[in-house]
Amino acid sequence: MKKSRRESTADKLTNLLFTLPAVILYTIFFIYAVFVGINYSFTDWDGIGKTYSYIGFTNYINLFQNQFFWSSMGITLKYALMLVVGVMSVSLVLALSLNSIKRLKTLTKSIFFVPAMIGGVTIALIFDQIYYRLLPSVGEAFGISWLMQSPLASTQTALPAVVFVNVWQAVAMPTLIFIAGLQSVPQDLYESAMLDGATVFNRFRYITFPYLMPTFTINLVLAIKSGITSFDYAYALTAGGPSRSTTVIGILIYNDAFNNMKFSQANAEAVILFILIALLSLLQIKISSKGGVNQV
Amino acid sequence: MKALKKEGLGWRIARDLVILLGLLMILVPLYVVIVNTFKDLEEASKSFFALPQSLNFQNYVELFNKNDFWNYVKNSTYISVISIVIVIIINPAVSYAIARNFTKRYYKAVYFYIILGLFIPFQVIMLPVTKIMTNMNLLNPNGLILLYAALSLSKGVFMFVNYINSLPYEIEEAARIDGCNTFQVYTKIVLHLLGPMLATLVVMDALWFWNDFQLPLMILNKSPEYWTLPLFQYNFKSEYSFNYTMAFTAYFMCMFPVLIVYAIGQKYIISGLTAGAVKS
Repeated sequence: MKKSRRESTADKLTNLLFTLPAVILYTIFFIYAVFVGINYSFTDWDGIGKTYSYIGFTNYINLFQNQFFWSSMGITLKYALMLVVGVMSVSLVLALSLNSIKRLKTLTKSIFFVPAMIGGVTIALIFDQIYYRLLPSVGEAFGISWLMQSPLASTQTALPAVVFVNVWQAVAMPTLIFIAGLQSVPQDLYESAMLDGATVFNRFRYITFPYLMPTFTINLVLAIKSGITSFDYAYALTAGGPSRSTTVIGILIYNDAFNNMKFSQANAEAVILFILIALLSLLQIKISSKGGVNQV
Repeated sequence: MKALKKEGLGWRIARDLVILLGLLMILVPLYVVIVNTFKDLEEASKSFFALPQSLNFQNYVELFNKNDFWNYVKNSTYISVISIVIVIIINPAVSYAIARNFTKRYYKAVYFYIILGLFIPFQVIMLPVTKIMTNMNLLNPNGLILLYAALSLSKGVFMFVNYINSLPYEIEEAARIDGCNTFQVYTKIVLHLLGPMLATLVVMDALWFWNDFQLPLMILNKSPEYWTLPLFQYNFKSEYSFNYTMAFTAYFMCMFPVLIVYAIGQKYIISGLTAGAVKS
C-alpha cells in the first residue's frame, strides 16, 4: 500500500467511522448470534420457558443416539448429492449447447436465466400445483400407475421431486458461469487440435476441461453448499413429509426449535451443521488454490 | 463457433434438441401459470393446458380487492428498498477503509472478522437471532432490514476489498494533492469507480431481499400485517389450496415486477449476477 503523505487526524477518524456501522451491525446480528446459539446448545431450554439450566454436552450426546437426526443427515446428503449431480450435469450440457448456437443466442440465454429471477417459494408452490394436478392426469392418460398421484405423496418419490424443483431453479446461474468459462478458451487451440485429428471427447478432455476447471470448482462448491443448507423448496412443497422422507437438516432444525419444543437441541443440530460447512469451506480453499488454467 | 460447425449434423441436432427441451422445461410451467390466471375453476378443471376461452380478469380483481395484497407489496418494497440503500452505504465504505489501510492491524482484523461470516451457514444464527430480535423488540420489518444489512457484509466486503485493491491509486493521490480529504476522495472519486461492483451488489442483494423466505418466516410470520410477498404466498397456499387459479394469480403477481425489471435490464442483471457468483 502506497502512502506518500501523512494522514491527518480527520482522515484517520473518517476511516474509522467508515468501518463502524458495519462492525456494529455484524457483531450484534451475526457474531453475537452465533455465540448465543452455541450457548443455547449447552442448555436444556425449550425456547419458551423463563428459565433453563446448563447441561454440558448432553444435547450433543443425545443427538448421536437420535435416529431422526441421523436419518435427517442421510436425507440431507442424498438431497445434496442429487442436487449436485443434477445441477452440474444439466448446466454443463446447457452451457456447451448455448455457447455454440449462433441464432437467437441472447434471447435464448435470457430465457434460460428467468428461473434465477423467481423466488424459491413461488417456484415450489407452482410445482406443487403441477405435481398435484398435471402429472396425475398425464399418468391416467397414458396408464402409468406411479404417475397417477402427486410424486410428493409417496416416500419413494418425494425427495427426487423436491430436488427436481430445486434443480429447475438452480441451473441458471452455473450455466452462465460455465459459459463465461467456455469463452476463456482460446479458439486456436481447437483448430490446431482438429488439424492433429483429435476426437470430440479428447478436445473436451484436454482443452475445454482444463479451462473450465476454475468455473467447475466454483459451481461445485456453490451447489454442495446450497444442497446441504436447503430449506425453502422442501418446506414449501412437503414441509418435510411424507413420514419425514424430505426432512432435510434445515427443516429438522426449524421444526425442533419452533414446533417440537426442543430449542436447545435444535441449536446443537445447527452447530453440527456449522462444523460440517466449515470443514467443507476449508476443503474448498485447498482445492481451489490448485489445478486448472486460472482464467476467471 | 467454428469447431462445432465442422462436427456435422448429428451434433448440431443433438445440441438443438437439448436447447429446445430446456426451453420447454422452463416455459411450460410459466405458461401453465399464466393461462390459468385467466380461468375460473370450472374452466381450469376442464382444460388445464388450453388457452383461456376469454381474457377473464376476475382472479386479478379479487386479488387486488383484497386490500391485504397491497399491504404485502408495500412491505416487500419497503424492506427491499431500505435494505438495499443501507447495504450500498455500508459495504463500500467499510471495504474502502479496509483496502486502503490494510497495513494497519485494526483494519486487517476487521477484514478477516467480517470474512469469517462466509463460513457460517444461516441455520446457525436463525434460531438465536429470533430470540435476540424478540428481546430487542425487533420482530418487525425494521428488524429484518438490520439483519439483511448485517448478513450482506461478508460477501459484500469480500467482493469490494478485492475490487478496490485492483483500482489504480494514482487518481486518489492526485485528488489528495489537490486538497481532498479522505471523505471527499471517497465520495467524489472512489464511489464513481466502484460503479460496476455496486451494480453487482444491488442486483444480487435486491433479488435476495425480494425473494427471501426463510428470514421473513422467522422474523415476521407471527404478524400478518408485516408479511412480505413470499410469506403471503406461502400462507396463501393453505388458504386457497382448493382455489388454485386464484393461487396462480397470486404467484404470478409476485414474480411479475421482477420479470418486468429483468426484461428491461437483463444485460446488467445477468452480468452483475455472474460477476457476483464468480468473485465469491
